[in-house]
Formats: sequence, structure tokens, C-alpha cells
Amino acid sequence: MPPMPKAHLGFLLALVLGGVLSGLSDRIDPYHLDVLIGVGINIVLAVSLNLIAGHTGQFSLGHAGFMAIGAYATAAVTIFLGPHLIGDTAAPGGLAENTLFGSALLIGGLAAALAGLLVGIPSLRLRGDYLALVTLGFGEIIRVLLQNFEPLGGALGLNGIPAYTTVFWVVAAGAATVFTVGCLVRSNYGLGFLAVRDDEIAASAAGLDPARYKVVAFTVGAFFAGIAGGLFGHFKMTITPSGFDFSRSIEIVVMVILGGLGNTVGVILAAVLLTLLPEFLRPVAEYRLVLYSLLLIGLMLARPQGLFTFRTHRAVPRA
Amino acid sequence: MSTPLLQLSQATVRFGGLTAVDALDLTLGQRELVGLIGPNGAGKTTAFNLITGLYAPASGSVAFAGRPLAGLSPHRIVAAGIARTFQNIRLFGSLSVLDHVRVAGNLHRAAAPWQALIRLRAFRESEAAVTRRAEELLALFNLERFRNTPARSLPYGEQRRLEIVRALATRPRLLLLDEPAAGLNPQEKIELVALIQRVHREFDLTILLVEHSMKVVMGVCQRIAVLDHGKKIAEGPPDAIRRDPAVIEAYLGPDHATALFHH
Repeated sequence: MPPMPKAHLGFLLALVLGGVLSGLSDRIDPYHLDVLIGVGINIVLAVSLNLIAGHTGQFSLGHAGFMAIGAYATAAVTIFLGPHLIGDTAAPGGLAENTLFGSALLIGGLAAALAGLLVGIPSLRLRGDYLALVTLGFGEIIRVLLQNFEPLGGALGLNGIPAYTTVFWVVAAGAATVFTVGCLVRSNYGLGFLAVRDDEIAASAAGLDPARYKVVAFTVGAFFAGIAGGLFGHFKMTITPSGFDFSRSIEIVVMVILGGLGNTVGVILAAVLLTLLPEFLRPVAEYRLVLYSLLLIGLMLARPQGLFTFRTHRAVPRA
Repeated sequence: MSTPLLQLSQATVRFGGLTAVDALDLTLGQRELVGLIGPNGAGKTTAFNLITGLYAPASGSVAFAGRPLAGLSPHRIVAAGIARTFQNIRLFGSLSVLDHVRVAGNLHRAAAPWQALIRLRAFRESEAAVTRRAEELLALFNLERFRNTPARSLPYGEQRRLEIVRALATRPRLLLLDEPAAGLNPQEKIELVALIQRVHREFDLTILLVEHSMKVVMGVCQRIAVLDHGKKIAEGPPDAIRRDPAVIEAYLGPDHATALFHH
């Protein structure tokens, strides 16, 4: 038996950690628990967007759209199918409930991945700001569609979503995202994402198919955004289309840029920092968002290559 | 005679009203080392872009080993066995020297991408094989010491060499070199000539070379084709091209009978 690869070991350790935290969750302050779950969901979002925008250089402003698809698909499964599948008497936090939630998350992720595949296709012909506009439009279309689709609650959204999201699920999703993106990008195959970002023509001269790489990046990135959406819905217990608007996408983009495009560790740290920052700013109440924006501007002026990028990566993909 | 490796038949590329490559016939046999020269704007790079699938011919055809290349996208043409370098070096700015060669080895990777997540033994062996092959290539071209250097911090001459090594990592049968001597100093040009000859010999390759430096072209090519305004105006061994009046006229204008190539 060969030694287990480090990445797998890290993944397993994260699962154990998630299990332990979940077991202790009764003793953790509920406020801290909420913040922890929020941080985890944002890590999933930021690391998955980083695959698209950071590693592959496809600037996308539609990540909240993928998240919305995942959130609604997952919630639809647990609300409409759940009672038929596990009945009303299933023990809270029991095996049946968690199996249902796990499958629902998977369905949410796959639905979002399908959308990612569709959005990936225009990205083959567009780049830079044009692609940003298309993905922005995509996110808005999703929001407007959901707003007008009454079976899923329309503008009022879905309420009464069961609170299935536990620390364990969030840690597991975070670990799975980091593991998948990390393993992909570090493989010989995954070097192709970086090559496509740096120079598409040179990438095809090296025998790589830029179109394939972009579509894979969009599909995988959207899959995890969908899972993050599912976790979000079953954490807040209510979702509305306006919760997945343009500003949500921007929030994720900011995490990726602040952490450093293509820098997974930096992006994780930025996701943690930017989730905690508004919490720390609570005492200043209504000035919170102003201060938050000022801090962001300051940080970007001071470290345009990303707060946590210390190697000399090119921060911005060539147009 | 066996099937030529590369055959352009009446290949034409037009940009709007401009005919950049005009009914070009060019045939390359196995293991030939052929030069393609001509004044600026003669259509040399356009011919390269045509062969490598960046442009489609307006008429005429390009065939590789008897197989038409029409409609193949650039990466498929590389997979078929044609690799190239670029006039203005195109490297991946953020990748290290080793990664440049590894990423080009993907064409010959045994493991499927999803296996990166499972990392079974077959996957690890496939990854190791690609890396080993990349390291061998670096060693062969004395680039080992730059192994972990980001490509864009390499000295200019080494960047040119790395581009050639990256092309070789795709295991081509035909290598297209677009002005590999551009920007090199005289010493580096001498080394480049030796390098091209070595690559030609050791990698069992056919090479088509676009070059402005007559020293390089005359030094290495067995045969030279001359383009002017998209048309082939001469073709033959270096000595004949050197004396060809049409070639001298294309380079210097009608009133210059002085031999251009005698330096």
C-alpha cells in the first residue's frame, strides 16, 4: 500500500474536523456557529470562482446565478420531495435526513453545473469585459426568472426550508472544493487552465484545447457554487431571488481579487477576512458598509496583486 | 516517391482585398530542412498561421502526411504532428520553465483528467512520466538550471529556446520555426544554428524555418523558398537562391545588382 497522497490526507482530516465541530456544535455559541457557517459557504464560493476567474482567467460576474440555481434546486428537493422520501417522522439530524440533504446538494450542484456548461459556451468566443457582461446578464436573467416563477415562490422566495446545514456539511463542502480545485490545478492536465489564461494561442500551439478548458472550468466552478447555494438555503431557511443579485456576485469577485487571482490559499483567507469584517464592524452600525467599502478601496490600492499573493504572479490575465 | 509530409497546393489567404498568400505551392519531404524567406510583409508568417490552422485558406489546400488539414482547429493540428514557435515569443507568463514543457506533454498523457481526483497508481505514474520526459528535454537543452524560474524572467535567448523545447514536447513530426534568430546577438545566432541542426538530427524532424538572418538561413537550410507579395518567386538550394536575380530584386529593388547575400 503506497502512502496516502497529502491531498487526500488533508481532505480526510477536514472531514474529521467537521465531524468533531458538528458534535461540539451544541456547546459553541450560536452566533459563532452562524459566522463559521457563513465563512465556510463563502470559501466554497470564492475557491470555485477562483477556478474560473483566477486559474482560467475567465472573468465571471455570474457566480450568484449559479448559487441561486443550486439553492433553489436543493430546496425544491428537500421541501417537495423530502416528505415523500423520508416522511415527517425522520429523526432530526439522523441518517435519513442527512442522506436526503446530501443527495439534494448533489442535485443542486449538478443543476448549477449544467448552467455553467451553457454559460461556458459563449465564453469560447468572448473574453475580458465582454465575457463579464454576458455572465452579468446571465446572473440577472436567473434572478428575474426566479422572481416570476410562482411554483418556487416568485419574488417572495421559498420559505420553510429545513435547517439541514450543519458545520459538518459546510466543512465537507469547503474541503471538497479546495481538494478538487487543488488537485485539478496541480496536475499536468490542470496546468492547462493556467496556460489558457496566460495565452490562448500559445496554449493551442502546445496542443491544448482552450475551449475545453474554459467549459470545464465553468462547469466545475458552477457545480460548487450550486452546492454553496444549497448550503446557504438550508442555513438561512429562506431564500429570495434578490438574495442572489449582482451585488452577491461582486462580493465573491472581491474575495477572489483580494486573495489574489489563482492563489487558492489567498482566496480562502480573503473569504474568511471579508466574511468576518462586517461582523467586526457591527459596533459602528450604519457606517459599517461605508467603512467596509473604504477598507476595500484601501486594500486594493495597497496590494493590487492580491492581499495574500507574495510570489510574483501576474495578477491580471492578459486581455 | 513517398507521400510528402507537408503539401500546400495553390493555398491562398485573403484579408479583405489583400491577398497575403497567393496560390502558394510548397512541398516538404520527410526530414527536410527548408527555409522560407522574403521581405517584410511577404506572407511568411501568414503561411505559418495557415498551416497551423489559425487562418483558413480562401482557396487551395494544406495536407499533412497525405491528410487534408482543412477545418482542424489549431490544437488538433498540433496533435496531428505539427508544432510551431512564434515570431514574437509566446510563453505562459506565470508558468515555470518546467511547467511549460510539462503542459505541452499533455498530448501524450495516459491518465484522464478526472483521475486527478482519485490519484490511483496509474494516474501517478502517468504524471511522473510526463514530468520525467519534461525533465529530460530540459536537460537536453541545458535549461535545467532554470527549471523553477517563471518563463518571463528568463533571458531573451533562453525564452526563444524554451519555446522550441515546448514545441518539441508535443512530439511533432514537423516543426515550424518563425524567426527564431530575431533579437539574438551574433554569438547566440551561432548557437541557434547548432541547435536547429541538432534538433533536426536527433528528433527525426522535418523543419520549416522562416528567418530574416541570411547567415542562419544559408547556414542550415537544404532548400529555400522565397516569397514576395504572397507569391513564391524562387525555390532552390541556398547557392542558387543567393544568386537569383528575382530574389535580389525583391529584397533591394530593380536597380541593385549588388549581391545582397555576400556578407
